[in-house]
Amino acid sequence: MIDPSEFITFLEKKFQYICGVPCSYFKEFLAHLASHGTETQLKHVYATREDEAIGIASGVAFSGKKALVYMQNSGIGNIGDALTSLAQLYKLPMLILISYRGLEPDNDFPEHSIMGEVNEPVLKAFKVPYWNLSEDRWTIEMKAAIQKMTETSSPVVLLVKKGVLCQ
Amino acid sequence: MMKGYEIISALSNHLSENDIIVSSNGNISREAYNLLPKPQVYLRGSMGLPIPVGLGLALANPNKRITVITGDGNFLMGLGSATTAAFYKPKNLKILILDNLKYYTTGGQKTVSSVIDYVKFLESLCIEYKCSKRASQDEIEQDLSEFINSEVFSVLHLTIKEGKKDLMNIPDQPEEITEKMILRLTKLA
Ligand SMILES: Cc1ncc(C[n+]2csc(CCOP(=O)(O)OP(=O)(O)O)c2C)c(N)n1
Repeated sequence: MIDPSEFITFLEKKFQYICGVPCSYFKEFLAHLASHGTETQLKHVYATREDEAIGIASGVAFSGKKALVYMQNSGIGNIGDALTSLAQLYKLPMLILISYRGLEPDNDFPEHSIMGEVNEPVLKAFKVPYWNLSEDRWTIEMKAAIQKMTETSSPVVLLVKKGVLCQ
Repeated sequence: MMKGYEIISALSNHLSENDIIVSSNGNISREAYNLLPKPQVYLRGSMGLPIPVGLGLALANPNKRITVITGDGNFLMGLGSATTAAFYKPKNLKILILDNLKYYTTGGQKTVSSVIDYVKFLESLCIEYKCSKRASQDEIEQDLSEFINSEVFSVLHLTIKEGKKDLMNIPDQPEEITEKMILRLTKLA
């Protein structure tokens, strides 16, 4: 697992807001954020839906500031219009962390199996660039994603497998 | 009862440099573009998301006043965002619901808005300034003034008559809308 405190220290240099709907794959990261909320520069906004989170991040981006969004990959099913007719169309940069459910560790969770199979093709179809976040090379992957986000002034995705931001 | 564009026109008397408008997709954005000072955040799509966009703007710009103008169709599609906004209650966020009980832009199909008792609904969210009424010519100036100048997170729900003016489509490309807004919000005072 990436050390949550190092991860948050990295994030707060680039982002002022964080917003999303949780997944158990983010458990330790979100727990750390909740318990150290007052120390960090990152302001946390709870969302009721993933498309709402993209909307809030869009409002932040219209202000010339940056937000990070987190969601389970099931949330990809909720954000198609928010991406295509708002964040991508209006060129609003944001980094979206998406848990990669439906792979082998989720064999007992059939609710994730189809999205697990299609989530990469769906992101490709939406033309959203994405990277896999790994425990060993996370700073390099984050930097590559953030560079693309800045260059294109558009949303980018980091896929997060089990064990990367949770135990 | 007033029409939506008449209310948007009336709103322009209450706006200053410090005001940012977010308008929901369809006729309302077109009316906001044509009838209010420019530039503002005109949503062309993302139905259901005007409140989250306004919330993001309000949190990121505590010194600006953000007013979301939303149709009932948009409001209902993103109903959860009424709760999110009420949870954070930014005092610089104002939500104006123009309720014609219809998806007017797409041909006047009915929405389910009529089932909501807006006074009770807004009360249940503990919103400090709330008002729900039929929009009338005699009271609109007073209503808009109280709503927009209140020092708390506020919601004004107006029942309106359908109807539109012949107005030009928004000529700005979406990315130009973004560029102009970022410039407005990041330029030194
Ligand atoms: C996700 C999505 N579904 C449907 C539409 C088509 N659409 C565009 S405007 C609109 C009606 C919006 O209704 P409301 O917010 O009440 O505003 P009004 O048209 O009544 O002014 C609809 C259904 C859309 N743009 N996006």
